[in-house]
Amino acid sequence: MGTDRTQRGDDWLEEALRADAREHAAAYLADDGFTASVLARLPQVAALPSWRRPVVALLWLIAGGAVAVALPGLFYDVFRGVIATVFGQPLTVSRIAVALIVLGAFTWSTLIYAAREE
Amino acid sequence: MSSPAVSDAQLIARVLVQDDRHAFGELVRRHQSVVRATLRKLTGGNHALADDLAQETFLLAYRNLRSFRQEAKFSTWLYRIAYNAFLADTRKMKELPLPEDTDVDDLASVDHNDAMPVARSAALSVDLARAMATLSEAERAAIVQCYHNDLSHEEAAYVLGCPVGTVKTHILRAKQKLKARLSGWGPET
Repeated sequence: MGTDRTQRGDDWLEEALRADAREHAAAYLADDGFTASVLARLPQVAALPSWRRPVVALLWLIAGGAVAVALPGLFYDVFRGVIATVFGQPLTVSRIAVALIVLGAFTWSTLIYAAREE
Repeated sequence: MSSPAVSDAQLIARVLVQDDRHAFGELVRRHQSVVRATLRKLTGGNHALADDLAQETFLLAYRNLRSFRQEAKFSTWLYRIAYNAFLADTRKMKELPLPEDTDVDDLASVDHNDAMPVARSAALSVDLARAMATLSEAERAAIVQCYHNDLSHEEAAYVLGCPVGTVKTHILRAKQKLKARLSGWGPET
């Protein structure tokens, strides 16, 4: 007990309160399943179903296919534009290096995403 | 008492970073006794209610662990949550009934000074518990925090959510009431 907290001179009452406090401090309450019941009441971790990821990938594939079928001209134009842009560039070491870095980063991030825990 | 190998702060970090429920379980195991005992005092010895409130306290602590800024000890922070849980419950229930067959006026009328020392001590403890039940919630809480939980006035003020001066006033009034209730235990005049 700190010295600043009580009015001194209450003698017997002070002593009675201190004795009660000592008893309180000494009496350890056995756990008796208390901790287990608290842990059982903790909110559950939101667990995503295991089939979610393949279904999402399949949906993206279907959506992409649907766009390609619905807009074949746009798809072809975009493809030609990409080819023309890529092969129209002069081939230099620095450009090859940048392309490799971008490709590596893309592959790495895809692998990390695929291997991540839910 | 030897200090545990893993500190409360380390366990809290594990809970926050990894959602480690074993670490939280260890925190509960360490502090359950004092929290339950404190709530038993606050509820006037209602063990079932105290244990319900203690469970509520730890669940609230888990949900709000991110808001624990370590400006106080973890146990003090738990006392604060426990006291707020107790207050919320009391507001629902309104008045706490006295323990059965308690006639607090009788406590002052008997002269206990002739009793044997051990029996006298036990009887005083019982009478003190009954007299504590007659205090207001704030007065009882101030006594419990400062005496039973060994908190300073400043720590008690943090737990009770009131100024330090108010804590001192509650303790003073509580002791005046206890003295009046337990006057039969006082020195013969």
